[in-house]
Amino acid sequence: MFCRAALLSLFWLLIPCSGFCAEFSALVTDVTVSKQNQQYVISADIDYPLSTEAKLALKNGVPLYWILQIKVLQQRSWVWNKTLQAREIRYRIQYNALLNMYRVRNEDSGEISNFSSLSAALGLMSALRNLPVIDEAEIDPEQSYQIAIKATFDRDALPLPLRPIAYTNPQWFLSSDWTLWPLVK
Amino acid sequence: MAFSKIKPPVSVSVLILFALIMISLQLMSSATQESSELSAMYSWLLVVNGLGSVVLLGLVGANIYSLVKQLKKREAGSRLTTRMVSLFVLLALAPATIVFYFSMQFLHQGIDSWFNVEMDRAMEDALELSQSSLDQRMRWHLKQTQQLTQQLANSSETQAGLEMEILREQSGASEMTLFSRQGRIIASSNINPGDMLPSLPDEHIWLQLKQHADFAALAPVREDSLMIRIIVTVPARESEYLQALYPVPVRIADLADSVEFAFVRYQKMNFLRDSLKLSFSLALSLVLLMSLLAAIWVAFISIRNIVAPVKELVKGTQAVASGQYDQQLPVTAQDDLGFLVESFNEMTLRIARAHFETKMAGFEVENQRAYLETILANLTAGVISFDADYRIRTANQAAYRIFRIHVNQFVGHTFLELAEAHPELVEPLKSIQRLLEQADEIWQQRIAFLGANGRQELLCRGTPLFSQEGRRVGAVVVFDDVTDLIQAQKNAAWGEVARRLAHEIKNPLTPIQLSAERLQHKLASKLEATDAEMLQRSTRTIVQQVEAMKEMVDDFSEYAKPSKKQTADIDLPALVQEVLALYVLKSGVKFSADYETGPLIIKGDPVNIRQVLHNLIKNALEAIDVQGRIEINVHRVQKNNTDFIEISLYDDGPGIKEEQIEQIFEPYVTTKAKGTGLGLAIVKKIIEEHGGAIWVDASRKVGAGFIIQLPAI
Repeated sequence: MFCRAALLSLFWLLIPCSGFCAEFSALVTDVTVSKQNQQYVISADIDYPLSTEAKLALKNGVPLYWILQIKVLQQRSWVWNKTLQAREIRYRIQYNALLNMYRVRNEDSGEISNFSSLSAALGLMSALRNLPVIDEAEIDPEQSYQIAIKATFDRDALPLPLRPIAYTNPQWFLSSDWTLWPLVK
Repeated sequence: MAFSKIKPPVSVSVLILFALIMISLQLMSSATQESSELSAMYSWLLVVNGLGSVVLLGLVGANIYSLVKQLKKREAGSRLTTRMVSLFVLLALAPATIVFYFSMQFLHQGIDSWFNVEMDRAMEDALELSQSSLDQRMRWHLKQTQQLTQQLANSSETQAGLEMEILREQSGASEMTLFSRQGRIIASSNINPGDMLPSLPDEHIWLQLKQHADFAALAPVREDSLMIRIIVTVPARESEYLQALYPVPVRIADLADSVEFAFVRYQKMNFLRDSLKLSFSLALSLVLLMSLLAAIWVAFISIRNIVAPVKELVKGTQAVASGQYDQQLPVTAQDDLGFLVESFNEMTLRIARAHFETKMAGFEVENQRAYLETILANLTAGVISFDADYRIRTANQAAYRIFRIHVNQFVGHTFLELAEAHPELVEPLKSIQRLLEQADEIWQQRIAFLGANGRQELLCRGTPLFSQEGRRVGAVVVFDDVTDLIQAQKNAAWGEVARRLAHEIKNPLTPIQLSAERLQHKLASKLEATDAEMLQRSTRTIVQQVEAMKEMVDDFSEYAKPSKKQTADIDLPALVQEVLALYVLKSGVKFSADYETGPLIIKGDPVNIRQVLHNLIKNALEAIDVQGRIEINVHRVQKNNTDFIEISLYDDGPGIKEEQIEQIFEPYVTTKAKGTGLGLAIVKKIIEEHGGAIWVDASRKVGAGFIIQLPAI
């Protein structure tokens, strides 16, 4: 029995998640690419439909981390796409029991925002506004480019006991897929 | 102890494996500490350990599969390995399972014991206490700020700007700002003169201000410091607000922070309780699984190494049982098994040596037997041994040669059975059989019989064989063909007789003849006619008879005289043709001759051989009438691996009587009215002097037949 349980857990650990993890996955929507001051900037909305388990963990003081990955890809016919630019923004969201507030921290800039509701806190993380991604000079008008965005939930930043569960329980499959958006010149 | 039995490379690899497992498990154990740097690698370590378990499981599975296969094949040592492995697994598994069970129990109970209702309550109360304390302070600052607004009620905007500094200092606020409903800053004062830009309320606060006249809240300025933000409406100046930021005293802030930290931590732990249990259980299970699997795998290797000499011993024993005595097993260890293997090696060495010696003794015996057989085979005397039932057990070549019976017809038969198959040997075989049955001690007997080669005489000596208990177990008969010896003795006797005759008789014959002739010469004229005629007749008779006697004596001396052969190569068909030519013209007899094609040449004295032919043809001519027929054949035959030229001469006369056949070649034996009886004796003597043989063809039913065999060249 013990061997079987260990093997089963290992099996669940190893199989890649595919179809059934979509329910609580983040979703990148409404990507707009525009030019400002010789730079391409993007704006996007990202939905974070947190699972009950994730909300419960947050409420119980577990900080959750997301990494927003943004890439500029040059499309090529025969070989894989070339990554021209890659940016990452790391967010931390945590509940403060004393103040009864949700605190969102941009780990890169150190900027902290406090919100009295979870939806407001997630709202901050959701709205990506006018983020410069690449200089216009780097773009070849003859080539075609794509913007790829992904919101990855950092499972390895979870408290240790939660990690095996986070890898196996669909409640914790919170990362979005890569969303590709054409860069209109 | 088990390691000492493992070969060095295996033991080293096992040690390395154990070290790797220990390191991996230790890393995982360290990673479970939240503060550890390895914490980030926890998932990977879990996967690596899981994979390690799978690999070990595969190894153990492969070993089990191999063992089951060996068991099915009933290979040597497989059952012992199974028993030892089962015992080991049972011994290892039982305590490990018990320890695992109780560890799990303690683990779960231990984790559960961290949490209880009182603790929950205490934590919540502490938090609430902090919140209440801060709340009270907030209300107090609200009241204070509301009182301050009284002083601003009648001030103009310019005066307000001047009073702001005083009010801030009075109230102890770190920042005080007067701003309009539209968000325009009217006046501001900061404890730090460098901070020119006051902190304005955000839209959430604006929303609250629109709903309520005042706003009071704790605001985290930075991550680790708290401020109390109070915004109140200035009386009489409805469209203006006074905002004051009061710092929370460091001590209170620290205490509140500490309570909050402890509460959050407790809440988090409480939330993670089940995950924690699962996590620890998983780690413990992995540790146990890996340790057990590694131990079982090492047990397989160790037991295989221990059983290897036993396996070799079993194989060696089987090999010895099947007759392969040259089994030497490698001694791999200096322990009891090593001693056993050494003993086995010594035993097989001794067995092999004993077997070799037995084999050599067998060879020696066989060689002796072959040597004796060779001697027996090359003896001119025939030697036959019999069993208790008088069946022939062994017989040498000479026996076959003397009896002219093929080898495979000899052994296993009795003489009586042989006599039935060979009628010409009935007489000697029955005689010997009778003697075998009757004699109780050594016997000797001369047995004469008429064989295929004419008359043969055997000198037989036999002895019965007795066992140690005195039981008759068989007999041995030794016999010699003494035909030639006896013939030679006879010839010598006849030669002596002839020589004496020649000497004793021939000498007085001439005086007798001369005396008779003298008597006739002297007395003829003196006697009367009748007496003279009688004298002349008597004298003639004497002279004729003396002549005849002389001839006879000459014949005898010729017979007795040792031949002085002038040997030459003789083409027999040519010689026969030459001799026949003399008779064909003289007689009316019909001759027919048949010669085999190819050379039919012998080495001999042509004069003697011609005499043989003359004597035989003469005898034949005398035997047949004028219309008779004589047939001569010359052929090449092979006997005892020697080539002979066979001359057979047949006539169609009255033939030879059976009782005369035996003595026909002896001197003074004749069937004719006249003659000395030496013709055939001389023929036989000449043939034998040429190394040949002559005998009467007894199978011939019409007329007489003689067969001569002379060695061919």
